[in-house]
Amino acid sequence: MKGRKTITDKPKISTYDVTPEVDILPDENSAMMDFIGIKSDNELFSDIPSAIRKRGISINKGMSEYEVVKLAEEIGSANSIDNYTNFMGCGIYDRIIPSAVDSIIGRTEFLTSYTPYQAEFSQGMLQSLFEYQSLISDLMGMDMTNSSIYDGATALGEAVRMAHRINEKTEILIPENIYRSKMDVIHSYSAGLNLKFVTYSFEKGTGYLDLNDLSSKISANTSAIICENPNSFGIIDPNVTKIQEIKGDALLISYVDPISLGTVVPPGSYGADISVAEGQQLGIHRQFGGPLLGLFSFRKEYLRKSPGRIIGMTSDTKGKRAFVMTIQTREQHIRREKATSNICTNQALMALASAVYLSVVGPDGLRKIAKVTISQAKKLRDAVSGIRGYDARILSGTSFSDVLVKMPKNPADVQKALYSRGILGPVPSSALFSEVKGLGNTAFFSVTEKTTDAMIKHLVDSLGAIQ
Amino acid sequence: MSYHQATYDERLLNEFRSGSTFKIPGETGDADALIPEGMNRKELPLPSLAEYDAVKHFTRLSQMNYSVDLGIYPLGSCTMKYNPKYADKIASMEHFSEMHPLQPEYSAQGSLRIMYELQEYLKKISDMDAVTLQPLAGAHGEFTGILIVRKYLEDTGQLGTRREIIVPDSAHGTNPASAAMGGFEVVEVPSDSGGMIDIGALKAALSEKTAALMITNPSTLGLFEKNVVEIAKLVHDAGALLYYDGANFNAILGITSPGIMGFDIVHFNLHKTFATPHGGGGPGAGPVAVKKRLEKYLPVPRIGFDGNKYFEDYSSEKSIGRISPYFGAFGVLLRAWAYITYHGSDGLEANSRKAVLNTNYVSRKLSKYLSDPYGGVKKHEVVLSSSNTGERALDIAKYLIDNGVHAPTIYFPLIVKEALMIEPTETVNKDDLDAFCNTIIEATKAGHEDLQQRPLNLSVGRIDEIKAARDQILTWSLQKN
Repeated sequence: MKGRKTITDKPKISTYDVTPEVDILPDENSAMMDFIGIKSDNELFSDIPSAIRKRGISINKGMSEYEVVKLAEEIGSANSIDNYTNFMGCGIYDRIIPSAVDSIIGRTEFLTSYTPYQAEFSQGMLQSLFEYQSLISDLMGMDMTNSSIYDGATALGEAVRMAHRINEKTEILIPENIYRSKMDVIHSYSAGLNLKFVTYSFEKGTGYLDLNDLSSKISANTSAIICENPNSFGIIDPNVTKIQEIKGDALLISYVDPISLGTVVPPGSYGADISVAEGQQLGIHRQFGGPLLGLFSFRKEYLRKSPGRIIGMTSDTKGKRAFVMTIQTREQHIRREKATSNICTNQALMALASAVYLSVVGPDGLRKIAKVTISQAKKLRDAVSGIRGYDARILSGTSFSDVLVKMPKNPADVQKALYSRGILGPVPSSALFSEVKGLGNTAFFSVTEKTTDAMIKHLVDSLGAIQ
Repeated sequence: MSYHQATYDERLLNEFRSGSTFKIPGETGDADALIPEGMNRKELPLPSLAEYDAVKHFTRLSQMNYSVDLGIYPLGSCTMKYNPKYADKIASMEHFSEMHPLQPEYSAQGSLRIMYELQEYLKKISDMDAVTLQPLAGAHGEFTGILIVRKYLEDTGQLGTRREIIVPDSAHGTNPASAAMGGFEVVEVPSDSGGMIDIGALKAALSEKTAALMITNPSTLGLFEKNVVEIAKLVHDAGALLYYDGANFNAILGITSPGIMGFDIVHFNLHKTFATPHGGGGPGAGPVAVKKRLEKYLPVPRIGFDGNKYFEDYSSEKSIGRISPYFGAFGVLLRAWAYITYHGSDGLEANSRKAVLNTNYVSRKLSKYLSDPYGGVKKHEVVLSSSNTGERALDIAKYLIDNGVHAPTIYFPLIVKEALMIEPTETVNKDDLDAFCNTIIEATKAGHEDLQQRPLNLSVGRIDEIKAARDQILTWSLQKN
């Protein structure tokens, strides 16, 4: 091609010819190089010593869009998902996602935007995130919510750090049945702090947290008590509402299922100081576990101690309502090593998805979804308990989504046998817990509002057939 | 250029009164009787509006928002390049988007393969030995790196003594914040007059108390740290580890790598270097790579391949554990896999070269109008200062956005007064670079009074940030009537 300069030591094609997504005209590059006053772009890399030069990247050469999409389809076909009846939950759930959610978060004005550093240019995202903060605060019954954390487990990690910042005490009380994955994340998040974790136990019959055991473990050093509702046995636990009577000076951190809040009392009503949750169920696809959404709400007196980004309402010079990132003096880009967290990128698009979800579903929809979930869990529990060797009534408390089932053999074998019959699930307890003893061959089947009576019958028939 | 952003007096969601129309299939059952006493929620104060109202609302809001697909976004250190559409298409395939993270390995071979291949890609790009995909953002990757430093020190009996992490004064704020989160003390070293780490100061800071040095190369000044080999030697001779902040990796792919430069730990910002969409501030993904001797400390699980099938590898007994509950931000990892597969070895290097060419073009064009405190050849970004014009960087930024171009990052790095940190990336063509530079030049000539009244063409005018911090209206129920 006329006018092209030698720009790499590979003679045949210009390096820039393979930058595929934009039309790079060789003449344009020549003009730019002339302007800068260089003959080859290698001159722009003269500051990189030859001793540390890399000789190319040893991966495949590029391919066309058509080929990469075909390749992804081929690889994806090794995943089992369509034509499978799903009973897997335990933290990530297959819920109905209104079509409007993907439509809105797929709008490129949101999808390809960045952190709204220039507020006047980014009112759309800022107002959406302000609405998210408002919706989640109201759902949780809490004063305030930040504009998102990575996921439920990391939100719990940040909550533990925040509690310690507030009262500088060092003991954290944790339910013994908390998922191992969450406990590991809490440990990671507190590695730099000198904290002590003390577990409290559960009542054998009901599956409720043991108030006596909890009470006996609260001390003057207790920084925070973590409770879960529904708890990690899947049970809606009325004892969480009684913690406020025994907690003394300790802070209460509640971890909840946001869908359950459609019909179950919110953490703000039972004295929670910090409330966190996994928000995936609010309109976000399961995506093999990420990206997810960490909901993080708190009482207003702790605002200055809170982690993450916060959007505030204000006005412009003419008095028109406007939104902006605020209370930034807690954040890493200003406070550096003294910041309340290191969060920079958060989950803004997922927060937007949940705001769209909640506004489309509305209070009546959310109530219905929560109630259908509870009643389908009961149906599954009763139906499975009718099969020889299976018992889903080992705990008397009400299941929300996850139903704990005792099995006549290794749950992994049950899982494999069901898989060959087109069913995904259950999740073995051994994959979830490390502290709870005596669970033996138990596992969870999970329901959502998508779970029909016919699906439950299919499960029951299959369990009967694989004995 | 002429520009006018859409403007609506858009209500808040809770100001709509249309009533919800949402339906679900609705199996029947008696949930109320099952809810334990005292646990039944009475009030659910969420807004109730029709789906069409919600869709209109968010669509209007989207029109009051700038994005890469509307124009260039030369926001330094954020690497806002074009996000290819094939990656979105692949991420939305049901075989990926509907997978449950606790599915057994035999039912998830496709997703596991994607992650395994991405691990291999990242190793080859960075010349490191092992990768975890678990961290969920760059800062999360940094924190993971710090936990690996901790575990290494603990394992080698040095955690009691090595309590300090050194960062340059030009570092991203996340570096000191992550180091402090990991329980270390932060020691700052200054930059010299050329924008490089002051070697004398570094030598003075290094001691038997040093756990690690965290640096970005190229730095946030857009300059390649030419003494990096010497720095690596100094750090290692002091018995400390060398951490690479991968935020600026876009400038050097295929040309050099953290592995070759002598780093021990690296994080990648997949959303920057590998162009996954930023979504208004997230999600991102921040995988971490390490040299062989640190491999055993990486979080679990990593993804293995036995020649026949892909598996979740929990075998590392000295692992720091988990930094997040599952495999990482799979949807982001998948898009990055697609980007790397599409571009390949040749495309990735070409992108770096073009990004650097674009930066130097902008640098040369603008250094006649704004001051360039460090001069010389730039890498991915250039930091200029408006001090010479008498105008604030903030005011120039408002002029730019008023003309439909996103402003550079301003007031960072902290060591440059009235800083404008410009990163054009490789995906901007010459016409757009020229238009951008011309708009900045116009801004420097517009006059103080004109700049002060900007923006005029956006959905709102200049925003009162002090009022926001003072009034603290953070939800609609805190609004004063």
